[in-house]
Amino acid sequence: MGEEQTTDPWPELSALPMGRRVELEDGSGRTYVGTVVPHHDFSGARVLQLKLASGYNVGVRVGPGAKFRILPDLPRESRNPPPAVRTGSPGGPAVALLTTGGTIASRVDYETGGVRPVQGEAEILEFYPELGKGGPVRIVPVFDRLSEDLHPEDWVTLAEQVVRAFRDGAVGVVIAHGTDTLGFTAAALSFLLTDLPGPVVLVGAQRSPDRPSSDGPSNLQVAVQVAREARLGEVVVVMHGGSSDRAFAIHRGNWVRKMHSSRRDAFSSRNGPPLGSVTDGRLELGPLARPPFPGPARFDGPIDTRAVLLWFYPGLNPDRAGLLTTGARGVVLAGTGLGHVASDHLPWIRQATSAGTVVAMTTQCLGGRADPYVYATGRELLRAGVTYLDDLLPETAYTKMLWALGHASTANGVVELLRTPRAGEFIERHRPVGGL
Amino acid sequence: MKAGLEIHQQLATGKLFCGCPSELSEEVEGSFERRLRAAGGENRAIDAAAALQASRGLLYRYEVAATTCLVDMDEEPPHPLNAAALETALTLALLLGSTPVDEVEVMRKIVVDGSTTAGFQRTALIATGGHVEVNGRTHAIETICLEEDAARRVGETAEGVTYRLDRIGIPLVEIATAPDISSGTDAREVAEEIGSLLRATGRVRRGIGTIREDLNVSVEGGRRIEIKGVQELRMIHEYVDREVARQGVLLALRDELVRRGAAGPTEPARDLTTIFAGNVSGPLSEVSRHGSVVWGLGLRGFSGSLRSPSGSSERLGRELAGQARAVGLGGLLHSDELPGHGVDEGQVDEVRRALGLGSEDAFLLVVAPTPTKAETALARAAQRARAALDGVPEETRDPLPDGSTRYSRPLPGRDRMYPETDIPPIPVDGKLLARLRDELPERPRARRERLARTHGLPTEIIRQLDRSDNLAEFESLVQRGHAPGAVARLLTQEVPAALADHPDAVAPSLDTLDAVLGGAAAGRFAKEGIPSILDALAAGAPDLDHAVGRLGLTAIPTENLDAIVERVVRANAAIIRQRGEAAFSPLMGDVMREVRGRRDGKEVAAALRRSIAQLRAEESPAPE
Repeated sequence: MGEEQTTDPWPELSALPMGRRVELEDGSGRTYVGTVVPHHDFSGARVLQLKLASGYNVGVRVGPGAKFRILPDLPRESRNPPPAVRTGSPGGPAVALLTTGGTIASRVDYETGGVRPVQGEAEILEFYPELGKGGPVRIVPVFDRLSEDLHPEDWVTLAEQVVRAFRDGAVGVVIAHGTDTLGFTAAALSFLLTDLPGPVVLVGAQRSPDRPSSDGPSNLQVAVQVAREARLGEVVVVMHGGSSDRAFAIHRGNWVRKMHSSRRDAFSSRNGPPLGSVTDGRLELGPLARPPFPGPARFDGPIDTRAVLLWFYPGLNPDRAGLLTTGARGVVLAGTGLGHVASDHLPWIRQATSAGTVVAMTTQCLGGRADPYVYATGRELLRAGVTYLDDLLPETAYTKMLWALGHASTANGVVELLRTPRAGEFIERHRPVGGL
Repeated sequence: MKAGLEIHQQLATGKLFCGCPSELSEEVEGSFERRLRAAGGENRAIDAAAALQASRGLLYRYEVAATTCLVDMDEEPPHPLNAAALETALTLALLLGSTPVDEVEVMRKIVVDGSTTAGFQRTALIATGGHVEVNGRTHAIETICLEEDAARRVGETAEGVTYRLDRIGIPLVEIATAPDISSGTDAREVAEEIGSLLRATGRVRRGIGTIREDLNVSVEGGRRIEIKGVQELRMIHEYVDREVARQGVLLALRDELVRRGAAGPTEPARDLTTIFAGNVSGPLSEVSRHGSVVWGLGLRGFSGSLRSPSGSSERLGRELAGQARAVGLGGLLHSDELPGHGVDEGQVDEVRRALGLGSEDAFLLVVAPTPTKAETALARAAQRARAALDGVPEETRDPLPDGSTRYSRPLPGRDRMYPETDIPPIPVDGKLLARLRDELPERPRARRERLARTHGLPTEIIRQLDRSDNLAEFESLVQRGHAPGAVARLLTQEVPAALADHPDAVAPSLDTLDAVLGGAAAGRFAKEGIPSILDALAAGAPDLDHAVGRLGLTAIPTENLDAIVERVVRANAAIIRQRGEAAFSPLMGDVMREVRGRRDGKEVAAALRRSIAQLRAEESPAPE
């Protein structure tokens, strides 16, 4: 070890830049040679993380008597050159790819040890060199955030970007999006966009692209295919249709819900089968798919975000619920069963509706319809002024609420808009096919 | 030569990152299919081994078994690292005198041959240093790691490989020794000693395939070669010795090529399909049958280097063929084996002309479904041929049952490792280590010496019991009052023999063995009957009574034995008169045919000798 150190080496060691090679004697007689890698968030105190020559990382607790010396850097090994940046063959109609961040475009962050969104067009194409195989793909970075950090205002920005992409000649638009709130964005866009001349395809990944098994590349490739080839004039979600990398489902944006925290086929169309599928590259659309409009695509804003989505549960305090909904122009309830809440909630609901707040009811069963007529509670709620929204998912109802509040100034006007089919969001016939 | 070992032992603690038991399963509940691709590690480099595997573009099929959950399917994040598995690895570290790390960091090791659903294997360094002593020599331990096993390969389809997700996730302790082993026999003995240490923890899985070895071999002037996945200890020295020989051949060949001034590959490779359009037999008939293409590559100065002139030994040809196989082709043809394989002399000359080659030069031919595949294969072969001018390239090789090995893939580098961000670092604290130190099992050598001393058995017998993982059974049975010698014979010879004849049989339980030994000791049947009884049990007899009854092994009372002996002796009186004592052996055979398994041989012999002596006494003339 270099010259004798008399002081605690930890301050100096912990300040070493990432990538510095050191020989470390930890103070108890063990010696490690390795490259400094950043401290893990959940690593212990005075633990230095080193990458050894074998590739393994280890955590070494640095005692006050530890000694170290800095070693010269290793000569850089020759690296495989990154894949050539290609945005597809020139000419032909382009698909626009709007990126927002999320797992579909995130990688291991060496700084924090977590997963971080990829940044910039070059990095995205480095991950997905096969993207442009079927024709040109234009990449438009919009956000660089995980989807839990997206807000309703961002849906507006995205909708405007979609309109711009179509105006610039795109045949279809793909939006790469984190899966956590992808369902909300898809539903919101289905209300904020009209006269679509081509598909708007939201796509995500459940496994990050830094792992060879990621579903990101195949989801994205199929999404681009759907955007380019499908005769669709609506907002859809494309994700794995099962655990296999062969079959993909095309869901209507306002029927779809993330039903699993980690599976590839987490996204499920509620109350019916998906709109279509892509199996081994073969695209098929069912009878309910909405064909393209002549265009041009139109942004149908604005939204008003003064709304609340409230999940009822036994024990929910009526005062708390009343407080939470104070100041809201719209409240969407996810009620039990056919659309119920405990009768002690009736007072605040009556108060809200009589003050001009729109209170709408959906079912937290996430399948089937909300129906006020079957039980007395429902009839009471109806009399209290609650608007039943049939088979809309709570999330779909919430996004439609924001849109409706942006388009009507009176409660009656909002209710009218809520109940009027707008983007294929209501399903008249629930067929007994598929599971729940 | 220098060899190092990597020993992988499955643990019986339950899987490493989920709640599934560490057990294989024949119950297949469904399947799914996936593709893998090479993903850049933390420094964006793509590992050469990973890139090769991914370039094959295979579709992998996975069978979901009864011991599979979403974690195994890469459909759910890993659960926290199995604490029992970590404790087992740490216990082993203490037994080997290794130093545990302060904080365990789980890494992802990229493996894209489809054997892991995630495309990586989770692995963590647990301890470094330590040593193992074998035959008075000390061998250094480099690292002890804890990792998850890969999926079990169960079949192959045209599109790819089928794996079953029962084995994936079973914990493996990996012990890597320093490259300080200098013979195949030593390698085997080091492996056996480490195996004993592992079993001493009491938490390892047992049976074939639960322990696997990788061998790292390098010879003076050569390079490191990893032979991956040796399952049988007794083959270790064979693989090591043959690898040493192979590297010797390659080094000698290098010297010869350098002396000749061999220039190597004449790139680019050329499309030679038209020359073979009419072939009807041999590998090249695929041109006419399936529309395949044939490409060729010249190797200047390489004539005779691909196979020895007599054809008696393989040289570089086999190595180059391995490169073609690595991209999914069947192999390649080379000029040292032509004409032949459906290629005639005229075609050989045409190829030489087309490639502009002289008589000192060699060439390679590949037949492939597409030009790209052919070019890729030949580019790899060219690279391998150039490496021959330098000696032995580093690589991973697969062990074959005959003791030879085959090229598998480039040696994986450190680029294939990056942090498993789904698992936070795990501290290894002093309290845990102190407890494990208190609970440390008896060391195998001490245990063997103790047992040999206490029971008066040769150490070799105890070693055999240890090697066959039977020490615990031995101790229990001896504790139940059975003679150590009889127990050892039962466990090392009689039970294995019975099981060998009935491959599907389950090993008899400790209680059954106890009853068998007890029955013999009590004279219910002769100890010679034990093999037949074990055989009957292995063949499906429900219990000891049935086995004894089925075999008619109930002991013969002494008076009946004497009667049988006397009958045989009287009937053979003439032979006894003629041959005297020498008549004993044939008569013993006759008696045993009637009483085998129902009376102890020693008692039969004594009765027979008595009876013979009596007959001779009766018949000898009385003294005057």
